[in-house]
Amino acid sequence: MNWRLFLLIAACIATIFAILVVGGFPAGQVLLDLLNGSVGSLKVFSKTLREMTPLLIAGTAVFVALRAGLFNIGVEGQFTMGAMGCAAVAIWIPNWFGVLCGALAGIILGALWAFPAAWIRAYRNGHEVITTIMLNNIAGFLTTALVVGPLKDPFRENATTAAIPIMFPNIFSTPTLGQNGKPDGTFEITIGLVVGITLATLLWFWLKRTVAGYELEAVGANPSAAEMAGIAVRRVTVKAMLSSGGIAGLAGALQVLVLEGRFYKDFSQGYGFDSLGVALLAGGNPLALIPSALAFGIIKKGASSITVMHSVPKGITLVILGLMIVVFAAIRYRKHMGRAVA
Amino acid sequence: MEAGFAVTMEGITKRFGPVVALDEVTLKVRKGTIHALVGENGAGKTTLMKILYGAYPATEGQYQIFEETAKFKNSAEAIQTGIGMVSQHYSIIGELTCLENLMLGAESSWLIPQSASIQLAEKLAAQMGFEFDWGALASGLSPAGAQKLEILKLLWRNSQIMILDEPTAMLTPQDSDALYASLKTLVKQGATVIVVTHRLPEVIEHCDQVTVLRGGKLVANEPVDPGETDLPARLAELIVGRAIAFPELSKREPGERLLTAEKICVRGSRGEISVRAASFSLCAGEIVGLAGVDGSGQRELFAALYGTQPIVSGLVDFLGEQLASTTKERLRNGLKWIPEDRHRQALIEDWTLDDNAALGMHCAPPFAENGHINRAGRRQAASEIASLFATKFGALSDPIASLSGGNQQRFVNARTLFSKPRVILAFQPARGLDIDATRAFYAELSKAVEEGATALVVSFDLDELIQYTDRILVMSLGELYETGQSRNRTEIGKLMVGAA
Repeated sequence: MNWRLFLLIAACIATIFAILVVGGFPAGQVLLDLLNGSVGSLKVFSKTLREMTPLLIAGTAVFVALRAGLFNIGVEGQFTMGAMGCAAVAIWIPNWFGVLCGALAGIILGALWAFPAAWIRAYRNGHEVITTIMLNNIAGFLTTALVVGPLKDPFRENATTAAIPIMFPNIFSTPTLGQNGKPDGTFEITIGLVVGITLATLLWFWLKRTVAGYELEAVGANPSAAEMAGIAVRRVTVKAMLSSGGIAGLAGALQVLVLEGRFYKDFSQGYGFDSLGVALLAGGNPLALIPSALAFGIIKKGASSITVMHSVPKGITLVILGLMIVVFAAIRYRKHMGRAVA
Repeated sequence: MEAGFAVTMEGITKRFGPVVALDEVTLKVRKGTIHALVGENGAGKTTLMKILYGAYPATEGQYQIFEETAKFKNSAEAIQTGIGMVSQHYSIIGELTCLENLMLGAESSWLIPQSASIQLAEKLAAQMGFEFDWGALASGLSPAGAQKLEILKLLWRNSQIMILDEPTAMLTPQDSDALYASLKTLVKQGATVIVVTHRLPEVIEHCDQVTVLRGGKLVANEPVDPGETDLPARLAELIVGRAIAFPELSKREPGERLLTAEKICVRGSRGEISVRAASFSLCAGEIVGLAGVDGSGQRELFAALYGTQPIVSGLVDFLGEQLASTTKERLRNGLKWIPEDRHRQALIEDWTLDDNAALGMHCAPPFAENGHINRAGRRQAASEIASLFATKFGALSDPIASLSGGNQQRFVNARTLFSKPRVILAFQPARGLDIDATRAFYAELSKAVEEGATALVVSFDLDELIQYTDRILVMSLGELYETGQSRNRTEIGKLMVGAA
């Protein structure tokens, strides 16, 4: 059994290797630098964690919906709306209260953006994949319109809001030393990462240990049986989708409050879509979201560093992430096929 | 001259890991006969048939088809040789027309000549005395119609040996008789039929030869002599391995009324009125049977009581109050059910036995307290539920999909009784259960009603209702009839088809 797994992973690495060789790159060196550029030192690892944070929280959002049998493609839009809503509130309120209001605004806007899809799915049986894709487009154009119009900082040329007055400080920060022994950067653990890990852990507990979590998973696994067991399937569907949207909105808000300090045009960089991969890679266990998001973070950060060092096209990230998901799906699929026939 | 053997299986052994499903079984089926294969759940009937059909390889042993040695690698090879199988769960696809279903997988060419196909289909149907609207969607077929279409599918594929797994499980007595009549026509034309069944009356009335399996071993193989008066008792004993006594109906006196329905009307899935002003009451201390042809409105009546289908008009009184509006409240108040479709409605197949044990009672002790799951309580309850009817399983943390159909049904039945219900609505609770398990279920159900509960049981097997229930209601075309204490099979049968 295990040699198959090994073979799959080997095949995955060999494929990436082959792609790089065909592209005319020193494959071994490139892969080594990919790891060097993401986990090679505390300084770059800090950046990897930054990359991982929105993926982890947005991945948790996708995961909640997935357990209820819903494929929330709309995390991208909910993330963007959450970030925009957070910035729009936080730039006006000067003190700590502004940060809290911003986070709350992010959650509310994210949930609000998921609501139409949730309602249509539960009461009109319209598929959430279609509706959330549409809502993604609306979110993209709407936030762009706002950030080139009413929310634009008049003192700047770019389509961006003003900077928010106060941001979340880091939980932990220490200077890192370069090869010559002199400080060359900082290693930081942000409040965003802590929120992400806490959320994933809480979600694990909630799903496994509470009646509400049990009901949500029942709806996802077999809605007819859930209905016969007295579970209000429609209400659970709406709640799951709203929670998913709320968490996605929080991911966007924290991106503003912890890292960016403002909202600007094309804010998301596809976090919402990458988070689908994070949730799928995590399988059925919320705790697996953490390593899954870390793996995505490593590859995204590493890929950007090999782009600089070796001019490898940025598309290699997609290739590697895609292969990872295919390999993982193959492993899971095998498990299902291997089920005993009674 | 005596006809030769269509099937000769000798010394067939099949192991699944450490489990021996079949142990040196021999099966010889004469050409042109209806051969019954009987036995308890897990006796190995279906496994043996799947080997014959090429779905499993045998661990040991060999078989000959029409006296030529064969060794099928897959079902396609078995079909080539002229073997066809209709499994317990029909494989009719509702979204396709009857004709498309008939041809599916055995189309004559990549371009389908519509009129020629219909002609051939008509010819096959006429040969059997069946009638089909070939252009209509198969979703409109009754269970009997679907069964007939499955048989025509075998004919379309030129099957010479037909294996039917529990062919009458979903049929009314009338439809069952009609089915056997058509099987006899087929046999006269030279086909060979193997019927896997639980129902002994069918075997005695319609089959030529019977083979009994018990625990994966062959225990009897003999010609059926309808003249032998104690044949049913003897066969039953062979199947379960000891003499079984059918319980005497206790003379229970019905107590207080627990549930009363007054003139309730319910719509079916297509919006038509399926239950017409049905009135009945269920009293403490009685098991009430609900007989009727499949599709007479039993499903809709039950759905209305579960709360998954609205009641259009009429009143239901439950324990002295109007029936609560949500499914959750009804369950909490003690209205419990054994749903018809265990895969779709009663169980979550990917989940463990543990998780499934709580389904429907998951909010209350011992399964949960204050919104938190009580894992120890749940495990304890799951093990009690599994042990009530001796459900065979590996571990409580295994997915319930790893259990056989009969064992899943045992688990579902036990779960419902475990919850100390006041009113039990059971839809085909003995489906997939053998005689012994059916008897055990009704014994426990009797115990529950004697302790003050009541039960309404739907079954398409009239004999089961006559044997185990105190009173029988009949449903026909959405209307409900009382039969009082009548135990007259023909009389009830007439009511069922609306001929009374």
